[in-house]
Amino acid sequence: MTYAFAAPLITFFEYSFYRFRRGRLEQVFTLDTYSRFLFDSYYHVVIYDTLRMATIVTLLSLAIGYPLAYALYRINRPAIQRWLALLIFSPILVSVVVRSYGWIVLLSDQGPVNWLLLRFGVLAEPATLVFNLFGVVISLTHVFLPFVVFPIFSSLTRLDPALKEAAEDLGANWWTTFRRVTFPLSLPGVVAGAQIAFTLALGAFVTPAMLGGGRVLVLPLQVYNATTDINWPVAAVGGMALLVISMVAVAAFNRLLKYSEAR
Amino acid sequence: MELDVEFVGVTKSFGDFVAVDNISFSVAKGSFFSLLGPSGCGKSTTLRMTSGFEHPDSGQLRIAGQEMAGVAPYRRPTNMVFQRWALFPHMTAAENVAFGLEVERTPRREMRERVAQALALVGLSEFSHRKPGQLSGGQMQRVALARALVKRPKVLLLDEPLGALDLKLRTQMQLELKRIQREVGTTFIYVTHDQGEAMTMSDHIAVMNKGRIEQIDTPQTIYDRPATRFVAGFIGNANIAPLEIESVAGREAKVRSGGLSFVISDVDGATPGKGHMALRYERIRLGAAAAQAPLRFKADVRDVIFAGSVVQYVLALADGPLELLAEQSHEGGGALLSRGDRVDVGWEPNAPRLFAGG
Ligand SMILES: Nc1ncnc2c1ncn2[C@@H]1O[C@H](COP(=O)(O)OP(=O)(O)OP(=O)(O)O)[C@@H](O)[C@H]1O
Ligand SMILES: [Mg+2]
Repeated sequence: MTYAFAAPLITFFEYSFYRFRRGRLEQVFTLDTYSRFLFDSYYHVVIYDTLRMATIVTLLSLAIGYPLAYALYRINRPAIQRWLALLIFSPILVSVVVRSYGWIVLLSDQGPVNWLLLRFGVLAEPATLVFNLFGVVISLTHVFLPFVVFPIFSSLTRLDPALKEAAEDLGANWWTTFRRVTFPLSLPGVVAGAQIAFTLALGAFVTPAMLGGGRVLVLPLQVYNATTDINWPVAAVGGMALLVISMVAVAAFNRLLKYSEAR
Repeated sequence: MELDVEFVGVTKSFGDFVAVDNISFSVAKGSFFSLLGPSGCGKSTTLRMTSGFEHPDSGQLRIAGQEMAGVAPYRRPTNMVFQRWALFPHMTAAENVAFGLEVERTPRREMRERVAQALALVGLSEFSHRKPGQLSGGQMQRVALARALVKRPKVLLLDEPLGALDLKLRTQMQLELKRIQREVGTTFIYVTHDQGEAMTMSDHIAVMNKGRIEQIDTPQTIYDRPATRFVAGFIGNANIAPLEIESVAGREAKVRSGGLSFVISDVDGATPGKGHMALRYERIRLGAAAAQAPLRFKADVRDVIFAGSVVQYVLALADGPLELLAEQSHEGGGALLSRGDRVDVGWEPNAPRLFAGG
């Protein structure tokens, strides 16, 4: 297991120090690729776009996921609760490719979403909803929703129901109770959900490739493009960068998790 | 007498199950009132109707003269100390106590003063910056009390607040609760299934059973003159024995159990037929003390149970089928009776309580 995980990584690590010149791999030790990665503004843009996309997706997932988790928690009809849970879970059951095509159809210029927006006079002409960042964010949020909803839901169900009653007994209305008691105590679930969504978004490849229309050049896509050019050093350095960013993100979220659980 | 809480014919069902069955009682302002009964008898439900977390199906509920139907919990002049305290785990003791005042938008200065006062009242001033996770059970209990009292409620509701504490701490907290109640003068409604706890603290006790109130009285009256067989059995230790009521004249009844025949006085509303008597362990006299008792019998000692401050004897009466437990305080020294001894037993005619019915 460790070997299976470590071996490709080591090989990749080794390749990151080679040089690629005139379509050929030269096996000499150099830090060229790393320094290009660190100082070339082209790569800065790629990294910035990757982080930006992951952040937007994470925030949107939380913004939609929290109310969904709360609704799931508050529904006290078990049958409806089961159906809603299944519905929230369903994006995971569909293959990425199928889901992406689905969104392409829905969001295209002649698709149902634009048709509705035009029909009800929200827009005068079709908006570009796909083959750009918007389409990628929508589709990724869709898949990551269950990863955000269930941790939040589980931290909500772990709350002692007497706490809400205590807040209400002390004079707090619904909103104050939520703001001061329920929400702060559900933060561990929020952080856990954000961590999953953010790291998954960092590594997302198929969705940006299919729905980005070439305009969303995130790091995994950049790595993929490099491999198709058999530019192994650039692919390796890109991979390493992705790994480091993910690890930093995980560590930061873990800190946040500990902080949010501190009592 | 000013009444702080009035229940008039209140009933509450969960589905088909009647949890609280047509209960009526009233609590005088500034008094310590206990709801006492076995698990599942509807005590918490009654308390939760008072705080507004449950709603009566029928009947009326008034607090300080105000009808409470349709009044949300956060608008009622009551505050609750929850069974497991329900402290906010992410807030310090002081923040927990301040919560109810912040919600009211109390000015900062006043808030700080009142929080400090409340924490001092429960003896927790030094622990104000600790979170519940860093407090002991007894300390959390005090925070919960301070958090409720700082709101200056008309009525403080307590749902078995000492249930999770060990015996020593419970006894200590009982005295403290009583002290605090006297100090602040707030009306307390206290729910417990522990009769000793209810006895030591209450001005009045309502004994509940299966959703109904069996008796409301002072602790002493409930102990000395239980109104029903259930109350007699639930409070203190009593021998409950079936017998025949042969005749009733005024407040005296002649009763028979097998070959034994005797008189019970101070009877309330008995009719000839089947009945039960409840005779407290400590009202039975033994040996020399029995010689002066108006009612005397012979008995064999079947068993001796030594429990430190008291000794209990299992006695079989010689002339009838009665088997009784008697209790004597143990002052140290002195020979105990032993198994197989034959002793004189006796009691006052007003010692047993007589209840009609099978
Ligand atoms: N929300 C509810 N739904 C259904 N049944 C309930 C509900 N709350 C209470 N009951 C039932 O009503 C009865 C009385 O409950 P209650 O909590 O008032 O008992 P209690 O006297 O406080 O008992 P305990 O000493 O165990 O706390 C119990 O049989 C309980 O099962
Ligand atoms: Mg209860």
